[in-house]
Amino acid sequence: APIEIKFSHVVAENTPKGKMALKFKELVEERMGDEVSVSVFPNSQLFGDDKVLEAMLLGDVQMAAPSLSKFQKYTPSLQVFDLPFLFNDMAAVDRFQQGETGQELLNSLNKRGLVGLGYLHNGMKQMSANQPLRVPADADGKKFRIMTSDVLQAQFEAVGGVPLKKPFSEVFTLLQTKAIDGAENPWSNIYSKKFHEVQPYITETNHGLLDYMVVTSAEFWNGLDDDLRVEVKKALDEAIAYGNQISQEQDAADRQAIIDSGRSEVIEITPEERQQWVDAMKPVWKQFEDEIGSDLIDAALKSNEG
Amino acid sequence: MAVRNLVTQIEEAILSLLLVSVTLLVFAEVVARFGFNAGIHWAQEATLLLAGWFVLFGASYGVKVGAHIGVDVFVRMLPNKLHRAVTLLAIALCVVYCILFLIGSWEYVMKMKMIGIELEDIPVPKWTASTILIIGFVLLIIRFLQLGWKVFRGEADGFAFADEAEESMHLANELKEAEQKENRS
Amino acid sequence: MTTAMLFIMLFGCMLMGMPIAIALGLSSVTTILLFSNDSLASIALKLFEATSSHYTLLAIPFFILSSAFLSTGGVAKRLINFAVDAIGHVRGGLAMASVMACMLFAAVSGSSPATVAAIGSIVIAGMVRSGYPEAFGAGVIANAGTLGILIPPSIVMLVYSAATEVSASRMFMAGFIPGIMMGLILMIAIYIAARIMKLPAQPFPGFGALARSGLIALGGLMLIIIVLGSIYGGVASPTEAASVAAIYAYLIAVMGYRDIGPLKGVAWRKDGEGMAGMVLRNTGMMLLAFPKSVTHPEVRKVFVDASKVSMMLLFIIANAMLFAHVLTTERIPHQIAEVIVDWGLPAWGFLIVVNILLLIAGNFMEPSAILLIMAPILFPIATQLGIDPIHLGIIMVVNMEIGMLTPPVGLNLFVTAGITGRDMIWVIKACAPWLCLLLFFLILITYIPQISLFLPEYIDKLHGY
Ligand code: NA
Ligand code: NA
Repeated sequence: APIEIKFSHVVAENTPKGKMALKFKELVEERMGDEVSVSVFPNSQLFGDDKVLEAMLLGDVQMAAPSLSKFQKYTPSLQVFDLPFLFNDMAAVDRFQQGETGQELLNSLNKRGLVGLGYLHNGMKQMSANQPLRVPADADGKKFRIMTSDVLQAQFEAVGGVPLKKPFSEVFTLLQTKAIDGAENPWSNIYSKKFHEVQPYITETNHGLLDYMVVTSAEFWNGLDDDLRVEVKKALDEAIAYGNQISQEQDAADRQAIIDSGRSEVIEITPEERQQWVDAMKPVWKQFEDEIGSDLIDAALKSNEG
Repeated sequence: MAVRNLVTQIEEAILSLLLVSVTLLVFAEVVARFGFNAGIHWAQEATLLLAGWFVLFGASYGVKVGAHIGVDVFVRMLPNKLHRAVTLLAIALCVVYCILFLIGSWEYVMKMKMIGIELEDIPVPKWTASTILIIGFVLLIIRFLQLGWKVFRGEADGFAFADEAEESMHLANELKEAEQKENRS
Repeated sequence: MTTAMLFIMLFGCMLMGMPIAIALGLSSVTTILLFSNDSLASIALKLFEATSSHYTLLAIPFFILSSAFLSTGGVAKRLINFAVDAIGHVRGGLAMASVMACMLFAAVSGSSPATVAAIGSIVIAGMVRSGYPEAFGAGVIANAGTLGILIPPSIVMLVYSAATEVSASRMFMAGFIPGIMMGLILMIAIYIAARIMKLPAQPFPGFGALARSGLIALGGLMLIIIVLGSIYGGVASPTEAASVAAIYAYLIAVMGYRDIGPLKGVAWRKDGEGMAGMVLRNTGMMLLAFPKSVTHPEVRKVFVDASKVSMMLLFIIANAMLFAHVLTTERIPHQIAEVIVDWGLPAWGFLIVVNILLLIAGNFMEPSAILLIMAPILFPIATQLGIDPIHLGIIMVVNMEIGMLTPPVGLNLFVTAGITGRDMIWVIKACAPWLCLLLFFLILITYIPQISLFLPEYIDKLHGY
C-alpha cells in the first residue's frame, strides 16, 4: 500500500492554504501516486491548531501548517516573526525566509521531533478598531484580541493597550458587541471572517506578519526513502510557491473588497505617524532579544535592505 | 461505610470545586475586562483545562451515582436472567472502551512527557495537564467493575440511569411539603 | 461497510442499555481501529481536545448551574403569583396564567420537566379548586411545560450549537418568537375552550398588587434580561453571559429570595426595624453568608446536582465529537445527502422525513442525545438543500418538545402523571387535544422559516448587514 500523508489544516478548502494543500495532493499523486497518497482534512476535521502538532508527534498526522505563533513553546526562536515592525514588506519577509537564516530556522524544531518544510504566506497584519487608530496614543486603554503569544501581548502593552486572549470562534461576537475594541489581522482574515463589518476603522499599519509553517514529524520524514523525500519536498515547494502566489493576490483583492464594501474606513497613515508606532513598539525587540537571539533579529532586519 | 461516605464527599467536593472555579474564572474575566479594562492572560487556558478535568474526573462519579443517561426500555422488557446477562455484557463492553482509552491515554501522556514542552500561559509541563485522561479512565474502570460485581450478585439491575422526570418530581414534592407545612401552621 | 459497522455498533450498544456517551465512543473507536490506521493515542488526544478546547461549550454547565439555583419552588410560586395577577381576570384566566407562568419559568430554567413539576404541582390543584376539569389543567401544563427548551436560554439549543457550530446567540434569538407564539396559541385555545365550557375568571387584584408581584418576580426574570442584555449590550459573549447568569442566580437564590442556604427564612425587614438597622443587619448577614454558603448543605447540593448533569452532558458531547469525527472523515453525511439528492427529494419533503425521524427518536431518547447523533447527519444534508441551519435547529427543538409528550418515553407525561397521581393512559388522553396544537405549530415552524429567522435576521440588520 502507498504511504499515506494526512494533511490537516483548520481553514476552508477555497483559502490559499486550502488550495496549497490540494495542489500538493495533486502534484504528489500525479508524480508518485503508486508510492504516496495524500488526504487533505480541512476545517479542523482532524485536529485544531492547538493539538495538531501533538497528533503529528504521535504519528497520526503527517503534515500541517499552523501559524508561526503556535510554535512558541516548541522553540523560542520562531517568535522572531511576531516582532512588530521588523519587516518592511512581504518582499523582505520572502528574502528572509528564503535566505540562509530563514532556512536554518526550519530546523529549529528538530529537537522537539518536528521538521519545518517551508513558509506559507498569509500576509502582513493590520490593526482594526471601533475608533480610528492613527498614532499609538489612540490605542491607549483599548482592548485588543490577540493570539496566544508573549510577543504580541508585549506589543500591545507597549502602546498602553489591553491584550486579551479569546478563542477565534468568539472574536466576531466580542467585536460586534464592542466587548473588545480591536484586533490585528491580515486583510484576508479580516475579509473572510467579516471583521470589517464590525470594525468601522482599519489602519493599514503592516506592523506584523501572520505566516504559516508547513511541518512534518522527524520520524515520518526521516523514515522516507531518500529519493522519495526529495520528490515529496520538490512537490511541496511547488505547492507552497503556488499557495504564496494565490495568497499575495488574495491579500490585495481582499483589501480592495473591504474598501469597496464601504463598511469600514481604511486609514492610511503617514510615514511620521508610522514612525511613532515603530518607536513605541520597538522596545519589544529588546525585551525578547535574549530569548530569540540578537543575531536572528539582525539577520531579519538586513532583509529589509533588499 | 464511613470510608465510602468520605470518598463520595471528596469526589463531590472536587467536582463542585472544579465547576465553581471554571464559572468564577470566566466571570472574573468579564469583570476584569468590563470593570477594570484589564485581561487575565492565563485565564483562557486555565478555564479550558479545568473544564477538561471536570468532565474526565466526573465521568466515574457519574457511573457511581447513576448520573449518565441511556436507553433501558428494551432490556427491561427481557426476562430477568437475560436482562442481567445483557447488562453484564454491556458493562464488559464499557470496560473494553475504558481499556482502549487508557492505553491510548498512556501512550499520549508518555509522548508529551518525552517532548517536554510547557503549557502556553501557565508555567507547568504540558503532560501533567493531560494526566487526567489516565486518572479518569482508571477511576471509570473501577466504577464499572464495581457495578458489574453488583449486577452479578443481584444487588443492582443496571446502570440506574438518571431520570430527568423523576428528578423534577422532587420539585413537586418539595412544594407539596411546603404547602402542608403552611396548612398546619 | 464502515457506515453499517458504525451504526450497528451504536444502536446495538444503546439497545443493550449502555450509557449513550460510551455507546457513541465505543462504536467510534472500534470503527476507527478497524477501518483506519489512527493510533489509540491520537483517539485519546481527540477526546482530550473534545473536553478541553471548546470554549463555547462552557455555556452548558453555566446555564445548568443557574437553572439549578432558580428552578426552585419559591421562584415558581413568585412567577405564578405574578402571572395570575396579570391575566387571571380574563375568562379561563387561571389556565392562561398557568401558561404564562410556564413561559416565564421556561425562561429561567431551561428544562421542560422541571417546568411542569414546579408550575404544575401548584396550579393544577388551584385550577381544580376553581372549577376546572383536572384533565384540562393537566393537559395545558404538560404542553406549556415543553416551552422550557424553546424559550431561551435553552440547554438543548446549546447542544445543537455544539453539534453544528451554529452561533448559540442566534439560536437563542430564533427561539424567542416561536416560544412566545406557541404560548399565545395555547392561550387563545384556552380562551375559546373557556367560553364554550364556561370556565371562571379570577377577580382583578388591582394595579398595585400587580406591580408588587411583578417586582418580586423580576428578581428571577432578571436572569433572561441579564443573559440577552449582556450578549447584545456589549458586555459579554454567550459563554461569558452564562457565567454571569450563574453568579446572578446564586446571588438571587441565596441572598435575594433566600429560598436556600444560610439566610433561608431570614426576613429582609423585621417588624419595627428602622431603615438603617435593616441595611446594616442585612449587609452584615450577607457578607457572612458568602463563606457560610460554601459549606451549607443546600448550596452544596445545588453544586453537586449541577455537576452531575453538566458532566453527563459534556461527556456525551465529547464522545459525540468522536462520532462526528468518524462521520466526517468517512464522508457519511455526504453520501446520504447524495442519495437523497438523487431521489430528487425537495427541501419540503426532506423536512417531512426529518420530522418523522425525530418524532420516532423522541420516543426512546433524551433530546440532547438525539440532537448529538442526528444533527451532524442532517445538518450537511439540509445545507445542501438550502435549508437555513438556524431554521433546522428550531425544527429539531420543536420536535424534541413533542417527543416529551408522546409515549412510551415522554418526560412531561411522567411528571404530569406524578403530580396528578393519575395513570399514564389518563395523562396521555388529557394531553392529546393540546398535543394536536403542538403538531399544528410544528407544521407552521417547518414551513414558515420566517417565524424562526425573523428575529436573528432583524438583529443582524440592526447591526448593519
Ligand atoms: Na429556557
Ligand atoms: Na416521546
